[in-house]
Amino acid sequence: MTTMPQQGSNASTREKLRTYLLHRWVHRRWFYNNWELFIQQPHGKLGLIMIVIFGLMALSHPILMETVWNRTLFDPSIGFDISIMPHPTTPTWRHLLGTDNFGRDVFSQLLAGTQTSFSVGIVAAIIAVTISTLLGGAAGYLGGVVDAILMGISDVFVLLPAQIVLLIFGLLLRLEWPMVAIAYGVVTGLGGQAIVVKSHTLKIKAKPFIEAAQAAGGGGGHIIRKHILPGLLSLTIVHAVFTVVGAVLTESLLSYFGRTQYYLSWGTMIWIGQQTFRWFTLEGQWHVILPPAIAIMLFCSAFYLVGRALDEVLNPQLRVR
Amino acid sequence: MLKFIVRRVVRAFVTLILFQSLLFALIHALPYDVTAFTLQGSSWREFMQRQLGLDLPLWTQYFRWLGKFLQFDLGVSFQNWPAPVSNIIFSRISRTLLLFLSATILAYLLGIWLGKMIAWRRGGWLEFGVTLGGVATYTSFAPWLGFVMINIFGWYLRWLPYQRLVNPNVWFNAPVMIDSLLARMVVTGAIALGAFLLVRRASHGLNKNYWRWTSQAAGIVIIGVGIGAWWSRSGLSYLAIDILSHLTLPLATVVLLSFGETMMIMRAAMLETKHEDYVLTARAKGLPDAVIRDRHVARNAILPVITRLALNLPFILVGSLVIERVFTWQATGEIIFNAIEYQDIPVLLGILSMVGILALIAHILLDVIYTYLDPRVRYIGLE
Repeated sequence: MTTMPQQGSNASTREKLRTYLLHRWVHRRWFYNNWELFIQQPHGKLGLIMIVIFGLMALSHPILMETVWNRTLFDPSIGFDISIMPHPTTPTWRHLLGTDNFGRDVFSQLLAGTQTSFSVGIVAAIIAVTISTLLGGAAGYLGGVVDAILMGISDVFVLLPAQIVLLIFGLLLRLEWPMVAIAYGVVTGLGGQAIVVKSHTLKIKAKPFIEAAQAAGGGGGHIIRKHILPGLLSLTIVHAVFTVVGAVLTESLLSYFGRTQYYLSWGTMIWIGQQTFRWFTLEGQWHVILPPAIAIMLFCSAFYLVGRALDEVLNPQLRVR
Repeated sequence: MLKFIVRRVVRAFVTLILFQSLLFALIHALPYDVTAFTLQGSSWREFMQRQLGLDLPLWTQYFRWLGKFLQFDLGVSFQNWPAPVSNIIFSRISRTLLLFLSATILAYLLGIWLGKMIAWRRGGWLEFGVTLGGVATYTSFAPWLGFVMINIFGWYLRWLPYQRLVNPNVWFNAPVMIDSLLARMVVTGAIALGAFLLVRRASHGLNKNYWRWTSQAAGIVIIGVGIGAWWSRSGLSYLAIDILSHLTLPLATVVLLSFGETMMIMRAAMLETKHEDYVLTARAKGLPDAVIRDRHVARNAILPVITRLALNLPFILVGSLVIERVFTWQATGEIIFNAIEYQDIPVLLGILSMVGILALIAHILLDVIYTYLDPRVRYIGLE
């Protein structure tokens, strides 16, 4: 007798689970369909694989520091290998990409720089996309005074070149990577992106299904959640990807010019490698400069390719089928 | 229409004033003080501050600067006092335009052409390869790409010079100044382009493909020979060749760095326009594929690209600091970098606000031109 209620509750849980999974499946079908479309494209697949590799590189650095690498030899900023004497050394099995002229392991620096690039790119993208979607969407949907004020702000910010603003700041302020990411995200998000989002919102607002939703009694929140925001999704993703690329390139440039106050960045690696590098004979530190330069290129390309493939999936006018 | 333009201009003026205020606030929020580095004691420092107007309260400085700006006076540089800022900018602007304007136009032409091609052959290996190449050069780190170009073409192959605008040995005792020669080269280029367009227009009516191509090639050869003869008669061709050979490498680098973006935008626009009804009509009429691509799809898809060009064009005045550094080009980017280093506030404010004015003019022109380019756009409903 004691087992009966248990069995009953078991059955109902199973029932609940089945309903839940069914609902999930119905909702997730959108995801799986789009995933299949995404993975069919060679660009998207290639970009995704590269992003995963970079992600593993960023994650592996602290683990390697704890387990395999000796901290005094392999630390990216203060490590020094005393057993090798002429110090910019070419790649060996001990140092996979050699060492720079301060005796630090280049591979360890490369992995640590991946973390900086990921952080800068993703923080900048989140900030830019949030600002542009909120402000541009509000300006387009509400119109009137809100539109006038917000677009006035955007018109001012679109005139600012972000790189030069950051260079000006970098002379006297101690620029850390969050500041670079925030400044870049705010300038790009408030500037061009908000204007594009606003015009796109106006286009969506003029579509017949909005009128139908209003006639069916849908409120403002419902229309924004169910119609406006999904319509803005493809644009948002494209903007996010462009922001990642721009922010990483800007950050590399700033640290290449020595304007940032942290070490672990690909731009700084190139800058330090160039101090003693003779380009014309390829003597010296090619192994310090080439890995970060190629890493910047591959990182930005990966995000760009993924963004392109996502755009192709989510934008109904570009869709393959 | 006139009412719309007037309203747009008034709004642009308000935006300009706001932009100036933002710039002033941004730069003065930093602890910039050019007089702090003087080695000649505090009395000299006070004298400097009085001379440069830095002892006044910030509000007074702001309104002074704004008032001067509205009279088209950008003030006096701190770094090489008392040279006016406008002179400093205009002394370098021809170099900037020579490199970055021509590079931007070339990059857009290349990007539009490639974007058209890869959009039309969608899904093939050609598209995959071209996209990968365009994205890789677009996202590569600018100083690195510059050094690679220098290393390959400048050093190992020794095809091209890679530093400065001209070779001083060639220009020793030259009969003309660089600027007049540049003007002459620009005029020549415009004449050549016009002649080429005329030839293309004239050969348009020929219905056999090979006749059209032969006549176009003949026209190009005749134009080339004519221009070569004109330049060799003037006796300045060696100077022009010197400038062109110095220009090639930086130009190629800037084009490589920037054509990918245009290509991807053009491709997306082409794919969006491909499904319009008029394309279907054109197909139903039995028009050739190339005609549909060039005249029905590409002409309509080019609008967002032109928008982007118009919005980006003012910013070439800022130049590209990196490219100028790598190739020792010494144009406006170098001025900005020096101004930042030496805390030369008037020069910074001057250049950035000139960019702002040009960008605002471009926005207004774009709005006006758009109504002619795309009759579907009407501002009556939106405004």
